[in-house]
Amino acid sequence: MEQEEQILCAILDAGETLLVSGAEVARVEDTIRRMALAYGFVRTDVLSITASMIVTAWTARGATLTQTRRIVARSTDLRRIEAVNALSRAVCAAPPPLAVLRERIDSIRHMPEEGRWQLPLAYLLVSGSFAVFFGGTARDGLAAMLCSMLLYAIGRAGARIRLQPLVLTVVGAAAMCFAAVITVWLGIGQALDKIVIGNIMLLIPGIALLTSLRDMIVGDTISGLLGAFEALLRALAIAAGCALVLLQMGGAA
Amino acid sequence: MTEQMLVQIAMAAVGSLGFGLLFHVSGRRLVTLAFGGAASWGVYLLALQGYGARVPACFAASLATAALAEVLARLLKTPVLTLLVPMLVPLAPGGDLYYTTLALVRGDMPDFARYGELVLKEAGAISFGVIVVACVMQTANKVWALARERKE
Repeated sequence: MEQEEQILCAILDAGETLLVSGAEVARVEDTIRRMALAYGFVRTDVLSITASMIVTAWTARGATLTQTRRIVARSTDLRRIEAVNALSRAVCAAPPPLAVLRERIDSIRHMPEEGRWQLPLAYLLVSGSFAVFFGGTARDGLAAMLCSMLLYAIGRAGARIRLQPLVLTVVGAAAMCFAAVITVWLGIGQALDKIVIGNIMLLIPGIALLTSLRDMIVGDTISGLLGAFEALLRALAIAAGCALVLLQMGGAA
Repeated sequence: MTEQMLVQIAMAAVGSLGFGLLFHVSGRRLVTLAFGGAASWGVYLLALQGYGARVPACFAASLATAALAEVLARLLKTPVLTLLVPMLVPLAPGGDLYYTTLALVRGDMPDFARYGELVLKEAGAISFGVIVVACVMQTANKVWALARERKE
């Protein structure tokens, strides 16, 4: 690969990192455009939607380079967004040599997971607090926390075997609902609905919905529509997963 | 203020903080999120007493929370969305989504329609609040940029 192609590839990697970490597409396009300009491309056309990125850059010699990316899975990670933002600012101030740029982008993409306790703790806090928030007792909160650990384990396993997010949501919701039934049967939890709702809060597509709204407001209609529909499907998947279990119980809960 | 309201506000704070952890937010921003989540539910409870209905209360709370998130994002130099989503989570109609599903499974169509409508209206009201604030911010930013350009 020529030097310029490699630079464009590295810039696109930075954009891809932003996109998969949950940044709005306007931010992704803006970052790619600025970084390309800093590296001497005279004009850059970027189109990014949540599922794909296309960029064509004009070199100073008049040649054009085009690269595309297909984006599959996304998961919100503020640390990566901030790291790429910082890198982008540094590049715009003084573009480093290709090797350094490549190394810095790779270090952001392979950023180690901080403490193993962090995500499980998040699951415990969210499910427990919302079970009580919606009117459950302390015992319901405890039961919800137990169920959330199952949800967490399923989320990890699903990500490992690359299960589609929607399928994962159905499976997770059904398993969590079933676990909630068992906690009530064992006498740990009291109100099944509060236990389940506490865990539903972990699954609601809040970030998908709000990102899509902001996309539409800044003119990225395609991304906005994709995101809004994704949010709707996620909500239906949660309902479907819960319904699977509730149906078996004859809606007795 | 009843004891139940205080419990709800405290739980909203913990829940928002938990959501921040999910998104890899760290340090003092987590504390900000806890405060924001509590504030968002506090405004909702106040508005609920004023309006006596849940949907307009959702809108009022969403409006206030979105404005707060815009200010905090500038102070903390962080993307608005990562603050806004956790702070709005207590307003999310997770409970009504469950009761909608339950009513459908039971074949209770009047309840299904009632809860289903609530879910859509609440999600809509939250979205509308966010949209209004985003429109105001975009307009203010453009006017501000123009004013600065003129000055130079």
